[in-house]
Amino acid sequence: MDCPEIRDSFVKGEVPAGPALDEHLRGCLQCSELLARDAELGRSLASAAAGAMPFEDELFAKLEAGVTRETGLRAWLRSRPTRLRFGVAVASVLLVVGLAAALSRRPDFAEYPTARLVLLLGVYSAGILLAFGKELYLSARRGSLGDHVGLLAGALGLPFLIAFAPATEASRHAGPEGALNCFLYGALLTLPTAALLWAFDRDDRPSMRTVCLSAGALGLSANLVLELHCASGNALHLLLGHASIGVAWLAAWFVVRRASVRS
Amino acid sequence: MVSLCVAQTIAGYIAPVRTDEELMAAYIAGDKAAFRELFKRYTPLLQRAMARDLRRPEEANDLVQQTFLHLHRSRLDFEPGRKLKPWVFTIALNLKREYFRRSKRRHETSLEDDRIAEPFEGPRGQERSDAARETALALRALPAEHREVIELHWFAGLSFPEVAEAVGSTVAAVKVRAHRGYVALRARLGDQAPDPERVSDVKPSPEGSH
Repeated sequence: MDCPEIRDSFVKGEVPAGPALDEHLRGCLQCSELLARDAELGRSLASAAAGAMPFEDELFAKLEAGVTRETGLRAWLRSRPTRLRFGVAVASVLLVVGLAAALSRRPDFAEYPTARLVLLLGVYSAGILLAFGKELYLSARRGSLGDHVGLLAGALGLPFLIAFAPATEASRHAGPEGALNCFLYGALLTLPTAALLWAFDRDDRPSMRTVCLSAGALGLSANLVLELHCASGNALHLLLGHASIGVAWLAAWFVVRRASVRS
Repeated sequence: MVSLCVAQTIAGYIAPVRTDEELMAAYIAGDKAAFRELFKRYTPLLQRAMARDLRRPEEANDLVQQTFLHLHRSRLDFEPGRKLKPWVFTIALNLKREYFRRSKRRHETSLEDDRIAEPFEGPRGQERSDAARETALALRALPAEHREVIELHWFAGLSFPEVAEAVGSTVAAVKVRAHRGYVALRARLGDQAPDPERVSDVKPSPEGSH
């Protein structure tokens, strides 16, 4: 005898008994509580468990109508297996980063310290993978915004911290000019990934979790691209043109969320 | 739940009843009737799991529909060999939590609230027994994490390992929560304060007994 069998007996209106029950109770504190004091708790829970709703054709008809509306590119994309959605999201970032590195590399790339490059690439990539993974994989307990606040703070805050890190020798003397260009460059290059994340979202209205994790991943992706593209080491330039992109994506996702809630 | 079961069909011969997992596999392969059968099986369980925290049956029905819509959108993630029920309840619980976050309402509502004191009615208009009502009220007074485990086990019919999978915890932790909830429930139903030592010093029963 096991716990579900004991529950089922109660639900059927019976009080379980016998040697098999005694054997089970020797190792199960939970069921002992159910059967204590003339099985008072087991009977009470069984009475509360009764009264199931009958099957309703109307309810199923509404669901069928909803399923029928699941057509088009977005419906197709968000119904793809999670491994594929995750892979495509990562590939979109890799493609953009690869293109940026190949076509518009920073002028001082040859002198850029390898250790610094590897460290930044590693940290940014880990953050992006973590954010995509948490966003796309169906976790048992998705958690509230508070559960992801560390990741969000890290993803949005890291570029701000890097803005104050010592600049490379070649980029030390650059001024703050060109911040808007960098902002637009980074934001536009991450736009396709943002569109993919929106399409991949299986909720009709983006959750706070999606909003925050998407913004964090997009901000890190944009900063990764700009690290390979822009040679400026000026803190003001880095704050306004690079680090602010994650915050801007956060604001944009909030707008999308609010609009979808209203609609 | 229905594995290895057989049922006699109207025609009089013995036909195997398909398991939830077989139905899901059939739905993925394009069998729409399988989806209807899954809906028929799971709707009462989901309604019971949803309705106890909600003020109106329509809200519970809306969340049940959303659960199935998510199941449809996630169908290609279903892997052979995986149990369907904990997966469905993982989706349902996440939707319920998100619903409460959006509506900025608390799970734990006041016992003085008459609408909550009269939980979601069972078969249309049917009176719940006094015992059932008292139990429902006592359940509402439990901490959410204890109540969730007891409700999934008793009202949705999940075993403790399935509950653990659905809530993203370990079997041992789920059993501790269930035991603490039972102790508190017994105290409430017996109208006496729980002994704090009994509630807090609980050791889980062996993993094998679930």
